[in-house]
Amino acid sequence: MVLTTPGPGPAGRSTRTGRKHLGGLVLAALALLTGCSGGTSQSVSTALEDSSSAVATARIALRQDMDGKLTRAAASTTLDDELKEIQTSRSTVLKLSPATQEERETQKQALDVLDQCAAGFATARAALAANDGGAPSVSDGDKALAGAQDALKQLEGKVVSP
Amino acid sequence: MKRLLGVALGILTAIGGFVDIGDLVTNAVVGSRFGLSLVWVVAVGVVGICLFANMSGRVAAASGRATFEVIRERLGARAGLANLAASFLINLMTVTAEIGGVALALQLASSVYYLLWIPVAALAVWLVVWRVRFTIMENVTGLLGLTLIIFAVALFLLKPDWGMLAGQLAPAVPEQETVWTYSYYAIALFGAAMTPYEVFFFSSGAVEEGWTVKDLLQERINVLVGFPLGGLLSVAIAACAAVVLLPAGISVTSLSQVVLPVAEGAGKIGLALVLVGIVAATFGAALETTLSSGYTLAQFFGWSWGKFRRPAEAARFHLAMIVCLLVGIAVLATGVDPVLVTEYSVVFSAIALPLTYLPILIVANDPQYMREHVNGRVVNVLGMVYLVIILVASIAAIPLMIVTGAGS
Amino acid sequence: MTSSPDPLLPAPPVAGRVLDAQLHLLDRQVLDHDGVPVTTVDDLELSGPAVDVEIEPGTAAPVVTALLTGPVLGTRIFGGRPPSSRLIRIPWKDVAEVGVVLRLGISGEPLDAGWVERWVRDKIIARIPGGRHDPR
Repeated sequence: MVLTTPGPGPAGRSTRTGRKHLGGLVLAALALLTGCSGGTSQSVSTALEDSSSAVATARIALRQDMDGKLTRAAASTTLDDELKEIQTSRSTVLKLSPATQEERETQKQALDVLDQCAAGFATARAALAANDGGAPSVSDGDKALAGAQDALKQLEGKVVSP
Repeated sequence: MKRLLGVALGILTAIGGFVDIGDLVTNAVVGSRFGLSLVWVVAVGVVGICLFANMSGRVAAASGRATFEVIRERLGARAGLANLAASFLINLMTVTAEIGGVALALQLASSVYYLLWIPVAALAVWLVVWRVRFTIMENVTGLLGLTLIIFAVALFLLKPDWGMLAGQLAPAVPEQETVWTYSYYAIALFGAAMTPYEVFFFSSGAVEEGWTVKDLLQERINVLVGFPLGGLLSVAIAACAAVVLLPAGISVTSLSQVVLPVAEGAGKIGLALVLVGIVAATFGAALETTLSSGYTLAQFFGWSWGKFRRPAEAARFHLAMIVCLLVGIAVLATGVDPVLVTEYSVVFSAIALPLTYLPILIVANDPQYMREHVNGRVVNVLGMVYLVIILVASIAAIPLMIVTGAGS
Repeated sequence: MTSSPDPLLPAPPVAGRVLDAQLHLLDRQVLDHDGVPVTTVDDLELSGPAVDVEIEPGTAAPVVTALLTGPVLGTRIFGGRPPSSRLIRIPWKDVAEVGVVLRLGISGEPLDAGWVERWVRDKIIARIPGGRHDPR
């Protein structure tokens, strides 16, 4: 079968206008997509939400460990997973390019709070690794994470309400 | 008595084999973010998989041919090749996700890093595919997977507010989520319930086990009783997440969060049982998806296939599966999060559903293959309704993925 | 076209079944006489007049000479034609039965169409321990 190429005239006109409509559609889609990426405060807010979820998970795991409901292996795996989450959130916030002074302030505060979360995780992981009676106890780890959780909630309240 | 045991075994293996890593992760994510407001999707998905698994089993029993063999004959080489390409790639993604799931569960049990478990898991999958007889493989993983019932037990032990849970069943978008993420996760949950590989595995398995028309009743019971009960297990997973994780503002991103509600309700024993169940269910699903990759390739190209044959007599079939496992290991070795791979694989499964289900509907209506076992009118009407649902889900999936940023 | 074509003669009567090559032969599974799958029919080789040559009246009709398999699937779908020496053939005379599947009257072992299977078997699968183990 031989394919005949479409000649100019009516066929050509319809493909040209068709292409213009298609181009407009692509531009609109791109505008929609870029518009959806939000701004600095949106990214910070998402990062804080994810970290908040991670810290809450870690606290549940620690409490279950103290109640004897969770094995050490599972508790330490949970903490490792959630620490990875905190680190991902931190690097996302770090990579932001804030435009205004207010956004720079938000970024700095978010980084401080996330560092506090990471420190809390370090205490908790050390507590789990130390076999009973060692330096930080599991409840110390839980207290550190509770402090980080409060700080997160405070900052979230400030970022969400513009 | 022996008949009764056989029937019970079939049902129990169907229940235990229903859940895979896609169901585990997606149901937990949905439960932790949307409560029970998406449970209706699980119901829709279960009815759909019952319908199509039944049809593909009937095709295999009546015609003695597995689904993919017939796809090429009925749809032609071009459509068959497109179907093969899409199904195979998504299957490969699912194999990767399942092996990742086995490794993650073993990490939870042992605290040995999951990357070290991946080659072990893949090797174990290959050994079973290489040597273990088909029925033994199915029965052992299916029965061990039944320990996932601990999710339902833990739910009861958590003593939730049943009234509040029942109130969540109404399909409504929770206030912290948008209608876009709700729809996106509806599609993901649908794709997790109606896994495409199930159809290929089911029909090829029917040929492997030598099903005839006499076995159709048993197969129908397995599907119609086993799969809905498996669906209830999925709902239990979502409910556990809704009771423990949703009030704490936790959204599930790792497998460790999936098991925390069970530990909360049932302690260390519950944790042990759920880990056994997760390893068994994901391992069984890894076997099924690996075999499905082999089946689809071999049946399209006309190679000799089947676990009932010596590996030397089905050389390309086994080589294809070995290559798939190696690719899965390679992908996971890059350090990509297996939970992320799982979340993408269920959405892509939903996108590929029309390609996999339409041929079955066509073949199940063809008297040349089915003789007198062609679809009845009710089944055809249901099939057409589901085809529309599947098409809608498939078309909406990618735009929703873009708009919601893959559900975040 | 310069002159109007002559009207077609009616088809000659045939003894036996009438098959549609595209429906009943292409993409069908080929089994050998033991029931072991060999390949699927990826294309058909027809004897007959050459392409782009005027057909003389009274020329014999094309005849199916062989089933083709292998890379010819790619050229069938995407266009083109591999050289004749590269075609993997199963001669039509070896086909014993045409039904839902095509059955050959011979074993699939010596066939060209099975060379990839034999190569994978001998070089890879048979070298892995347990490769020749019978699962039943």
